[in-house]
Amino acid sequence: MPLWWPLLLASLLFAIGVYGVLVRRNAVLVLMGVELMLNAVNINLVAFDAHLRDVLHGGQTLALFTIVIAAAEIGLALAVVLLVFRTHGHIDLDRLRSLADRDGLDELDQRGPRLDHRGAR
Amino acid sequence: MSWVVLAMLLVPFCSAALTLWIGHRSEVTSRGVAVGGSALGLVLVVVVAAGHLGDAVPLTHVFVSTSAAVEPIGLAVHVDPLSAVLLLLSATVAFLVQVYSLGYLADDPRYPSYAALVAVFTGAMSTVVVADDLWLLLVGWELMGACSYFLISHHWELAEARAGAVKAFLITRTADLGLLFAILLLGARFGSYRISEILASIQQQALPRDDLWLPALLLTVAVTGKSAQLPFHTWLPDAMPGPTPISALIHAATMVAAGVFLVARTYPVFVSAPTVLTLLASIAAATMVLGALYALFTDDLKRVLAWSTVSQLAYMFGALAVGAWSAGVLHLLAHGAFKALLFLSAGSVVHAVGSTSMGRMGGLRGRLPHTFLAMTLGFGALAGIVPLIGFFTKDAVIAGALEQARHGRLVWPWVSWALVVAMILTALVTVAYSLRAWLLVFFGKGTGPGTADSVHESPWSMRVPLYLLMVPTALGGFLVFKPAAVLGPQHHESLVHGAESVVMTGLVVVTAVVVLLLWRRRGRQMWPHVVLPHPPVDVVWDRGLVRPVGWLSRVVRAGERDVVEAYADGAGASARGLGRLLRLTQTGNVQTYLMVVVVGAAALAVAAGTVS
Repeated sequence: MPLWWPLLLASLLFAIGVYGVLVRRNAVLVLMGVELMLNAVNINLVAFDAHLRDVLHGGQTLALFTIVIAAAEIGLALAVVLLVFRTHGHIDLDRLRSLADRDGLDELDQRGPRLDHRGAR
Repeated sequence: MSWVVLAMLLVPFCSAALTLWIGHRSEVTSRGVAVGGSALGLVLVVVVAAGHLGDAVPLTHVFVSTSAAVEPIGLAVHVDPLSAVLLLLSATVAFLVQVYSLGYLADDPRYPSYAALVAVFTGAMSTVVVADDLWLLLVGWELMGACSYFLISHHWELAEARAGAVKAFLITRTADLGLLFAILLLGARFGSYRISEILASIQQQALPRDDLWLPALLLTVAVTGKSAQLPFHTWLPDAMPGPTPISALIHAATMVAAGVFLVARTYPVFVSAPTVLTLLASIAAATMVLGALYALFTDDLKRVLAWSTVSQLAYMFGALAVGAWSAGVLHLLAHGAFKALLFLSAGSVVHAVGSTSMGRMGGLRGRLPHTFLAMTLGFGALAGIVPLIGFFTKDAVIAGALEQARHGRLVWPWVSWALVVAMILTALVTVAYSLRAWLLVFFGKGTGPGTADSVHESPWSMRVPLYLLMVPTALGGFLVFKPAAVLGPQHHESLVHGAESVVMTGLVVVTAVVVLLLWRRRGRQMWPHVVLPHPPVDVVWDRGLVRPVGWLSRVVRAGERDVVEAYADGAGASARGLGRLLRLTQTGNVQTYLMVVVVGAAALAVAAGTVS
């Protein structure tokens, strides 16, 4: 199998992931974009491992690492998203702007119902 | 002995600090400390001076000195007869002024600072008088300028007191630059700042004529400023809003006396530069006539006395300029005695009447008998009435000038003749204005508050100094028969001149008779009131010095604000503007940041690919 097939697939997946991360408003969908990018990297790792006939199979080992890290990352990130939903009542990234450098607090992320830490109103 | 001198210098400063420290906590204690401190100072001065009058060996002692490689600067003192008599004069007058102020400033809330400044003033004068190091002398000299500034502005709520104080300070400070540069020049020339060493080397080296003209000229500038001679004379009359005891202190014993003292102390410098002595003689001649004429037409009692001080100081400078050293110094002492007496009794009059205008006084003879007696003696001495002190010393000065004009070669002859004429003329005008002031204050019928029944004699604390000052005023004149007993064996010449004395007494009597006739015929308006044209020195100082400095400071301020600060402000403003631009990118939207990162990374990758 030529090398460029898996590379093309990985590029497509990576591009879709980047698109998702940069453009989607829903935080869960952004996380899915991140997963796509990670898996594109995994494909690259495995493809080069096979292509180079690595005796130690470093590429496959690294891919396993990446999968573990991705699992941890998605767990943490989903917890963050959950907390965001509980405090803000939405997970719209466009409206989460408290890190902006401005004089007054923008009304933008004050919208929506204020919930307590358990998610109750 | 040298430690007594050090204690004598330190006591006034310590008593000043103690007076300030006690301040208002205990009114009685602070007054006691002020008077007691000056009494202790007087005792120490008497101890120091008694051993150094006449033919005693001068004391020279260096307490501590810098050890650097250049000319050493040291805390060095030199006590000779000249220092001794001036120490006695200044400490006595200061003590009497402190006693007098007990009554004069009885209810003054600013008494502690006043008394402390008087003590510092006295200490500064003692420092000047005994200093053997020129820098030590400069310290005392400047300290006196600062003290006079504070004391003249004692009533700082009055605009004229503030203006007079600023004027006195600025004019004397400007002239003091002369002393500073003279010190630098003398130090560079002789390799030492010790006055005794400099004078000794001048006398040994036989310098060519006028070799030291520049330091002598600079010293002349300094002393004309301090002693209010032309063209720096305007500050002294304008210093009159200060309390009257301060006027006595400044005019008799300390500030203006320091100028004459400096010439007397550094006399060899002047003698080696006869051209400067000629200049000094011309200044003295012009100043004495001008001062006397102003005194003749002034209505303000204290200003009459101030102008007479200017005129009498010119006598001293005239005497020193024509080589009559001992006559000049004795006239300084005599003037210190009778001018202190005059100012203190004028203070008594002002205290009783509440005004300094002679037009509002009159007929005070019966109400103020003690003051009347004191002022009669004072004015008599000022006018040169026969047995009083002013008669002898003034005649000694005039005779010295005449001697120089006829036989001397120190000063240009026509200048010394002009000086003689000015001295005789001034003596006559002095008689006229003294008599006028005396008559206006104590005789006739006045209008205004001075004639009210409420006018009464001052308390004992103000009377005692008057009586104590009357003694030297009445009897001190006999000093001229034997100046060597006080000023040392090298001044053994007799200062009594029979023929001149008779002629001067005749002239004085004629003038007095003329004035009395005018008084009899025309009453209080003895001669028409003339406003004399003032020499425009104030205008010259204003145009030549004050305004250019003002312009310069405005230019400097503009340069500071519009050029230097503009750069600093510009740096700040541009940083802030750039920051505001950068801030626009911080939207808080994480996806925007990521977009920038991705696009940037892609652009870098493309760029890297293109280049390689």
